[in-house]
Amino acid sequence: MWTRKASFTFTGGIALILIGMMIANLQMMILGLTFIAFIVVNSWISGHGDVEVQRTLSADNLYKGDDLYVELLVTNRSNRNTQLLEVYDNIPHEMKLRSGLNQMRLNLKPGESARIRYVLRCPLRGHFSIGPVSLRSRNTFNLGVDEMYVDHHSDIVIFPQIKEVEEAFLRSRTPKMYTGATTLRTPGQGSEFYSLREYVPGDPFKNINWKAFARTGDLMVNEKCRDAVTDLYILLDSRDIARIGTVLKNPLEMGTVSAASLAAFFLKRRDSVALAIFDDSLSYLPPDTGDKQYFKILSALAGVSPKGNMPLQAVTNSLSGRFSRGSPVFIISSCEGDGTVPAAVRDLVGRGHEVTVLSPSSIDFERLVSRIPRMSYEVLKLERQNRLTTLAGSGAMVIDWMPDMDLSQALMQVRGY
Amino acid sequence: MLDNINLNYRRIGLQVAFWSVLLVLLLSVLANFVNLSNTNQLSAYDDDWNDMSAFRQDIKDMGIQTNSLVSSPLLLADIEDPRNTTYILAGVERDTLSLPQFDSDGFITIASEDGYSPSEIDAIVEFVDAGGTALILDDYGFAGSIAQAYGVRYTGYQLYDTNYVEELDFNYVWMCIQSTPCGMNGSSIDPDTISVHERWSGSLGEGAHPCSLLNGQTMDLDDAGLCAQHWKDGEIQYNATYQLLLNNITALELIPGVSGAFNDVSIRAVTSNEATVDVNGDGEIWVGNEQNSETPDLWGQFNLSIEACAENSCDPNDGGRIVFMADGSALINAIYDYEGFNDPNNPLYGSNDCVTNNTKCIPENDNRKWALDFIAEALMSSKIGEKGQPSETAMVIFDESRHPQNALLADSYNTVYFLLVYFTGEGLAMLLLFLILFIAFEAVLIKKRDPEPWRHVFSIIYYGFGDANRYTYYSKTDKIRQVFLSKVRNQNGLTREEFHAMPARELVSLINDPVLAKFAIEPGKYSLEQTVSVVKRIKAWGRT
Repeated sequence: MWTRKASFTFTGGIALILIGMMIANLQMMILGLTFIAFIVVNSWISGHGDVEVQRTLSADNLYKGDDLYVELLVTNRSNRNTQLLEVYDNIPHEMKLRSGLNQMRLNLKPGESARIRYVLRCPLRGHFSIGPVSLRSRNTFNLGVDEMYVDHHSDIVIFPQIKEVEEAFLRSRTPKMYTGATTLRTPGQGSEFYSLREYVPGDPFKNINWKAFARTGDLMVNEKCRDAVTDLYILLDSRDIARIGTVLKNPLEMGTVSAASLAAFFLKRRDSVALAIFDDSLSYLPPDTGDKQYFKILSALAGVSPKGNMPLQAVTNSLSGRFSRGSPVFIISSCEGDGTVPAAVRDLVGRGHEVTVLSPSSIDFERLVSRIPRMSYEVLKLERQNRLTTLAGSGAMVIDWMPDMDLSQALMQVRGY
Repeated sequence: MLDNINLNYRRIGLQVAFWSVLLVLLLSVLANFVNLSNTNQLSAYDDDWNDMSAFRQDIKDMGIQTNSLVSSPLLLADIEDPRNTTYILAGVERDTLSLPQFDSDGFITIASEDGYSPSEIDAIVEFVDAGGTALILDDYGFAGSIAQAYGVRYTGYQLYDTNYVEELDFNYVWMCIQSTPCGMNGSSIDPDTISVHERWSGSLGEGAHPCSLLNGQTMDLDDAGLCAQHWKDGEIQYNATYQLLLNNITALELIPGVSGAFNDVSIRAVTSNEATVDVNGDGEIWVGNEQNSETPDLWGQFNLSIEACAENSCDPNDGGRIVFMADGSALINAIYDYEGFNDPNNPLYGSNDCVTNNTKCIPENDNRKWALDFIAEALMSSKIGEKGQPSETAMVIFDESRHPQNALLADSYNTVYFLLVYFTGEGLAMLLLFLILFIAFEAVLIKKRDPEPWRHVFSIIYYGFGDANRYTYYSKTDKIRQVFLSKVRNQNGLTREEFHAMPARELVSLINDPVLAKFAIEPGKYSLEQTVSVVKRIKAWGRT
């Protein structure tokens, strides 16, 4: 592609030739021809973007707010100089360049390499991709520009932030809720023997019961009792209404942070944690323990986006068969725009679950972006308090979570209205 | 990657399709100007029997540079030495492109249908004014506009004369370059009626042909130079008689009352007194004392060649001159080089009746002698010691711009070249070209953008989300009352049914605040201040 300079030179050349013909001025025509010849000769001497690119990231998974170190190795694999080559690593606009530059101007000799290093800060959770690498080669006099790209992508997942949750907060406010480690009489990962069963491909060899094999002639494996305090269910409201507020402060963002923090807290205690996210549909992660479950939960939370309007009662109804009896249930929802919340909470409490409603105050998030008239705000707050009072009256523990409040602070408020 | 390749192929395919359609459109437009069915003839660069290659070759052999003009006579304005340049136009077979231009009055006009645009005619006139020599050979073509510039008109009707070649047919007419008509004696021209070229013979006292000055001088043929056509037996034997053979001719007229570019206009050749002109073109001659519908044709003596000169002397050193002849084919190979045409052993221009049957042979004529004398007078050097030799800058230009070409690309090239010359030579077109160049510069300035420098922009869209419509709803008294009653119900742990079944008195006692009780039970209008006050009371209610 010609640059502006080349276009001017070309148009000027043509104009000089034509005007030279008009006024029969040979010198002018020769000057015009020189301009055209200059363009033609320059088009022969062009650079290229035949380079190999390799990107190295400091991590594939990060927590929101963490820094990502990126290194780009550019190698000229051809037998020609690249001439003036601009290399630009495309990074998502949601990421902030903290240090270094994601671009460089190079003139690489054959086989020569160059490294571009920069640091990104990731203020938003989600699934992101760095790349492709854009290349722009110019010829010597900047008359021609060619743009191309190397289709090299690096995917990264930004998990929600994990906030420290003080055990004391939960204990002090809910002394009966968590009764200490108990062995569940269901098969799973644990330490106590549960039963023998036949070997199936994929079972670890260390679980094979060699004595039973010697006795029966069939490969048998030991099954263990699931070793967990209890199953904890987290229901996260990801409906469209959860986007109220700013992109960094809204019920959904706070919900993902609290869900991730609670999951981290309980998984560290070797509890089983299940996660249900409801928006326009329900996605459910069955209860499990360990790092794998932790990673699964964080991955699920990273990809959450507000959409749909699924009522809470539909969620609890569809999951009621899967809830372990008496297990605690955390509902993270603003409880706005859903008339089924009281009934759903009442049902759960009625079935013996310890229900905690962590409710980001959506009206206060809305206040961050809209000028709500004072009186309307007061009435809306009153209505919200009525709603939370109703939930508390149903036997749930309710937390009214204000935007400027830390999670641990919010958890301290667990109280019955 | 595969997608990219497919996309690339699709893009290339689209480009090919686009340019193909454009090319087809362009060719169809060009086809409007290019008459492909016409046979190329009268070209100095083709060697068919009806072309003029022999004449051009003779000129080249004399050491004179020959050039073709394929675009437009506008280029004559760029000739550096018109004095030593001869412009030859034989047969204008094609009209000019109809393009807008300024006329002599300064108005915009579309080029007329007379073959040459006003600018081109001006260029020819200016060339001759500047000392150039022009030879216009035409009959039924489009040279009329050039002739009119000199007060001459091609009648455009076929002319028949009693001086014709019987062995051939009545289309082959003899023309004697002399002031009086020549006549026939049997099948050949009567020698008693043959005279000499009025000017070249020197009978007018000045303007004698330069070769006549060498008359009688002994020299080798190589030294004879431009007078080699008069060389015989080792010396120059100048003879000013010219019997030219013409084919399918028309007549020339001096336009009455019209003064052309030159005042000195002379008739150089005429027909016999018994010549006729087929005015209605029916192939029959009906003449009478008067020209009417029954006798539409004309009878008498007509002009065949007219010469216009800048000065009375017609000397090339004194100014330019232009010669019109009423036949476009006077110099075609078959007539000009009749020996080569008739030669049965080595026919130079293909088979013909003369070669095969010894019939219809072209008779001996002076066409070659006259043409070369014309060139000799125009281009002979006037320097001492160079008599008979062409001047250093001598050049003959054959106008090929109005000859249809056999090859499509050749005609397209000519058309493009013509447009180029038009846009750089014609006033209006130059104005238009300036405008186009200006617009092109503006377009480049405005539209052409260099690629933006790359930079990373950190941008989180701080979208807001709220429902401003509900704010009004939440400030209405009814909604406030509903919220308050819900608070009362919740505060007292009542179900909806219990609450609805509750008597008003009991509700009042539960509320225990006369203002709020009245607000809860008696719907009424509240001012803004009252509503604000009520909301404050509701907020405080139940705290103690």
